[in-house]
Amino acid sequence: MGVVHGQEMVLNIGPQHPATHGVLRLQVKTDGEVISEITPYLGYLHRCFEKHCENVSYEQVIPFTDRCDYLASMTMNFGYVVAMEQLMDIKVNDRVQYIRVIMAELQRIASHLLATGVFGLDLGAFTPFLHMLRDRERIIDLFEMTCGARLLYNYMWVGGLSHDLPKGFVEETLRFLDYFEPKVDEFENLLGHNKIFVERTADIGIMPAEVAINYGVTGPNLRASGIKWDLRKDDPYSVYDRLDFEVPIGLGVKGTVGDSWDRFYVRLQEIRQSINIVRQAIDKLPKDGDVHQSMPKKIRPPKGSIYSRTESPRGDLGYYIESDGSDTPYRLKMRSPAFTALGVLNEIAGGWLMSDVLAILGSLDIVLGEIDR
Amino acid sequence: MKRYFTDIYESVTSIVGGMGITLVHLFKARNDNVTLQYPEEKWPRPERNIGFDHSSYNVIRSRLHVDMDDCIGCLKCERACPVDCIKIETEKSPVRGEDLKEIKHKGVTSNGTRKALVVTRFDIDMSECCYCNLCTYPCPEECIFMTGGPNAKKHPIDYEFSEPDRSDLIYRFAKKGAKQGLAELNAKQDAEA
Repeated sequence: MGVVHGQEMVLNIGPQHPATHGVLRLQVKTDGEVISEITPYLGYLHRCFEKHCENVSYEQVIPFTDRCDYLASMTMNFGYVVAMEQLMDIKVNDRVQYIRVIMAELQRIASHLLATGVFGLDLGAFTPFLHMLRDRERIIDLFEMTCGARLLYNYMWVGGLSHDLPKGFVEETLRFLDYFEPKVDEFENLLGHNKIFVERTADIGIMPAEVAINYGVTGPNLRASGIKWDLRKDDPYSVYDRLDFEVPIGLGVKGTVGDSWDRFYVRLQEIRQSINIVRQAIDKLPKDGDVHQSMPKKIRPPKGSIYSRTESPRGDLGYYIESDGSDTPYRLKMRSPAFTALGVLNEIAGGWLMSDVLAILGSLDIVLGEIDR
Repeated sequence: MKRYFTDIYESVTSIVGGMGITLVHLFKARNDNVTLQYPEEKWPRPERNIGFDHSSYNVIRSRLHVDMDDCIGCLKCERACPVDCIKIETEKSPVRGEDLKEIKHKGVTSNGTRKALVVTRFDIDMSECCYCNLCTYPCPEECIFMTGGPNAKKHPIDYEFSEPDRSDLIYRFAKKGAKQGLAELNAKQDAEA
């Protein structure tokens, strides 16, 4: 007996919908409850980041990188300054490097907390979201203590940092980590092993490794598919080669490798690894060193181009900068990890039920500011 | 059959586990309540005791303020601004480094720099400002700063500045009537000469 097809219906999710994590429109073709095709429509948050960068000087680009991925501004700054330092051949001292690593990893924790929390919220679990936001707030307080801003920092500068660490930052961070470490286990019990959550996510939206690679998916989404690929390990930048940490991958504990639950669990384990990295970086943080030491007076890179990539909480963050020897970039291109993650949505969500689409979208952890730029 | 009972067992244990955490929070977390009744109580600002000279670091993001008596009109902040929200116009001062009482212009800054220019317009549009703090670093006289924090002595913190009209968010720092006063002053001098 053949499959009976009903009438196909086109349904728009978004652009103003809380579950799309920003202004994203998904055009969904449904056959009853079953999804046959998803087309994401982008551009609702397009702010001409790349074109605008051609009109501002190199240091003025940094506040705009903040606004691309507003949930992980520190790592966006980090990627840009790493690219610029490679282009200009600047060596920065160890204190700057370790402070950057501490900031980037704290930011990773904050970003993953929001990602996992909102993922739960999409599926109707409200309590874990509040717990995670409460702890994210403490990380944001640490950032506010450092640079005054709570969300868009403009903290990392080409060749250095805007400020040194404030007094008491290290103690405050260690106090936070001591408080936070047992909380991760609590989150795992509260959300990760909850039967309802497991039923909604395990075996749902399976992304096989070859699909992930073909679409260029990176970051936790790729690692959840069982591929050990982390730029901090495989192509170390900054001082990550001096730090000891593990790269968690999806093992299919509750279902199949690469399902939505794996993507959630990889993020939770990355929080644990980031805590570990922050502790090590604080141990190794040199006491002296001027954070403005290698900052050039005038940022005017030589003629040439650079492509540099770093690991943001969402994956491979690439910056391609073409310089013509003037004060402003000739061309600046950002390779955004969330864009490729959204691209794979049609491939992995086809055939699942309507209610699973939001679970799959939530598990991919996209940020529209970065997709549209 | 076995699946049926394990499902029931898992559901019950996970719900009991989750509710256990909620129960612990009900009694234990009462003391550290995180919700603030905002307008009545405010979150304490983080301590800004940062082990180095405050004058060279301004670690706060709030409303921008300019001490016009110290501004020499070098336009460095205007150039540093990535969103062009600072607009400055200057005119040559008839007497370098001396006060012009008619337009309340001070000739020498508090750092001892003699001013060659009179700032006739200094507008900051706070509705455009992106709070990146880039304008405060290049200022040679440290006269543009974000209020509060290490600058609380110069200006108390001001981060709640809503206005009924958007144009009210343009802050005009230049002395009122400076442009006209200067023109009159120059005309008077020309007549004398």
